[in-house]
Amino acid sequence: MTSNGPTTTPEMAPGDIAMDPRVRLEDLVDRDALTELCQSFHVLFGIPVRIYSSEGTLIGDASKEHEVCTYVNTLASGRAACGATVGAVKLTEPGPEGVATHPCFTGQQYRIVSIAYEGRRIGRVILGPYLPAETTEIPTSFADLDPNLDLERARRSLVKVPRAKAETVSRIAGHLQATLDLILFSGHKTLLTSQMHLASVRESFRELTEKTQRLQDAYDRLKELDRLKSNFLATVSHELRTPLTSIIGYSEMLAEGIGGSLTDEQRDFVRTIQEKGEQLLSLITSLLDLSKLESGTMSVHREAILVQDVLVEVQKTLAPVARKKGVVVRLEGSMTLPRIKGDPERLRQVFINLGDNALKFTPKGGVVSFRANVLTGGGADGDDGLALLAAVKTQVEVRVCDTGIGIPPAERQRVFDAFYQVDSSSTREYGGTGLGLSIVKRLVDAHQGSVRIEENTPTGAVFVVTLPVAGE
Amino acid sequence: MQLNFAGREVTIKLVYYGPGLSGKTTNLRALHHLTSDESRGRLMTLETRDDRTLFFDMLPLVFRADGPSSPRTGAPRSFTPSDPGLGMSVRLKVFTVPGQVLHGATRRLVLQGADGVAFIADSQISETENNAASFLDLRANLKEMNISLKDMPVVIQFNKRDLPAVRPDAEIEQLARRGREPVFRASAVNGEGVLETFFGLLHLVWTKLEVEHQLSRTIGMEPHEFVPVAMRKLGLKQDEASLLRACVGGSLDYKKEGT
Repeated sequence: MTSNGPTTTPEMAPGDIAMDPRVRLEDLVDRDALTELCQSFHVLFGIPVRIYSSEGTLIGDASKEHEVCTYVNTLASGRAACGATVGAVKLTEPGPEGVATHPCFTGQQYRIVSIAYEGRRIGRVILGPYLPAETTEIPTSFADLDPNLDLERARRSLVKVPRAKAETVSRIAGHLQATLDLILFSGHKTLLTSQMHLASVRESFRELTEKTQRLQDAYDRLKELDRLKSNFLATVSHELRTPLTSIIGYSEMLAEGIGGSLTDEQRDFVRTIQEKGEQLLSLITSLLDLSKLESGTMSVHREAILVQDVLVEVQKTLAPVARKKGVVVRLEGSMTLPRIKGDPERLRQVFINLGDNALKFTPKGGVVSFRANVLTGGGADGDDGLALLAAVKTQVEVRVCDTGIGIPPAERQRVFDAFYQVDSSSTREYGGTGLGLSIVKRLVDAHQGSVRIEENTPTGAVFVVTLPVAGE
Repeated sequence: MQLNFAGREVTIKLVYYGPGLSGKTTNLRALHHLTSDESRGRLMTLETRDDRTLFFDMLPLVFRADGPSSPRTGAPRSFTPSDPGLGMSVRLKVFTVPGQVLHGATRRLVLQGADGVAFIADSQISETENNAASFLDLRANLKEMNISLKDMPVVIQFNKRDLPAVRPDAEIEQLARRGREPVFRASAVNGEGVLETFFGLLHLVWTKLEVEHQLSRTIGMEPHEFVPVAMRKLGLKQDEASLLRACVGGSLDYKKEGT
């Protein structure tokens, strides 16, 4: 429950819309427009019209002083009597019916009617002075007013005052009240609509703010969980590597006969242990790299380097595997490229991973090629400010092409996700952990470069790596 | 409820809630039509699109509560707004909310400060789920304002009884008897059941305000006189008991929670 005193609160609570304690006449109508309305009534009936708010402020009027009034005001006692009458009229409270009549000593009359809205009085209309239709003689209150009164002049000017029957005045007042009621209703409706608009927007904003906060909290929580996951992965990888190194080391020593000579069969077994141990180690290393990249703790030392030097090394590293598979690894394209800004160790990892991947999916007799080019006017279509920036942007592009099974367009984004395989059956056929490409993507990102996949004709995939040139 | 001692006014806010197109605005139009000229203001419709309510409709009903127990003299009294002999001015403001789901924010705004809710349900069996969803929406919105549904006087109206494929009377009565809220049947488009629902709600609201604020003493009348006085002032000939007999279930007594 709320109790409202006579004062209204400046800022309305949304719940108070249309429950507002006071509708004020001044808030609902335009004063100039109201004055125009009064003038039109004045022109129509010749009777002055004044509209006051409930606080007694004049907010609309149309009046022209009657000749008799002008004359009365030339006399000292007339001025006093006129002032008293006008003051009394202003103070007259329309009765329970909302109508009151107040006489003037000259025989003229005022009609006071209240303006009500939704059962509340919010102002009043004062009509007059006018001359009651039945008046025939100058009343004694006027005749005896002042010894200097020129009776003939008074009579002459009094008859010029518009005459009206009581019922005519009632009709005029009623019509004015009805007109005002319509204006007030429209004004109130508009006021409520705009308040409601504001309140709705505020309420929707509040709702959205709350939702955003909830989303932000959920996002923060997920980010924290992700960080914990990366930490866990890093710790576990490290703990796994330590014993594994011993396994590999000791099996190597065994295989070399340090612990005594082995039979051929025993040596084979030990070699298998060593080989699988190394596979496991490389998997764990990849995992560790990935978690470092994800947690942002992998350091990338970028310096001005030549990408072709990296590629030559990569080719050498891949050569034994390629030879075993019967696949040719070729370096193509320009060998005079500008320096790029990169970490040679990390870039080697990028291209070895890409080369490994290409070799894995290229059948015997196929070709894996590394083609390096300079790209001017770089930037992907649709990049911000491409029309302005492309002209000054130089990049080095390395295309790693294979003649394997290719990657369907729908999969081209997802192959960079960790542990993703285009088809789980390919794991069985081709092996791999699904980490190589996600490491590539993250390393290239760390170099402010980009990697994407294109089609190779007639068959195969092209991994396109672009890296910014040093000095940009 | 707003009580303004200086202006000798009490304002009661009643809200018609319910799913879209269940007939909330139609109820208000019928109420406007059935009450007398002197006591009702214009039916204000705020913002509509395609004849659907976007903000709210509002019908003000105003009367002076100088009940039969207040002294009556033949001579006209001098009129001043603060004359205690004249009793209080009672302002009933009846609102509808926009029913469509997307206007949730507006619904909450209109619901704020409500003293009672008439829930207008669509009797058609196909609308059963919409009715339930809207009622849950009412409960959720009240909860957001820290108001328990149990603390809010609520009456339920099954509207559109004139349509085919509506839930049969017997079923409604059976459900109503098991429920807490008074249930009324209506065909608002024909003006049937509208007054019953409205005065059923007013009865419930008044009983609650009486329990909580002893409002009848403030107004200067006996507690049981309020609704009959309201009916007479609104130009109605019926008596309260006959209207309230239309209630098919639930309780018309307000019980303060925990008692």
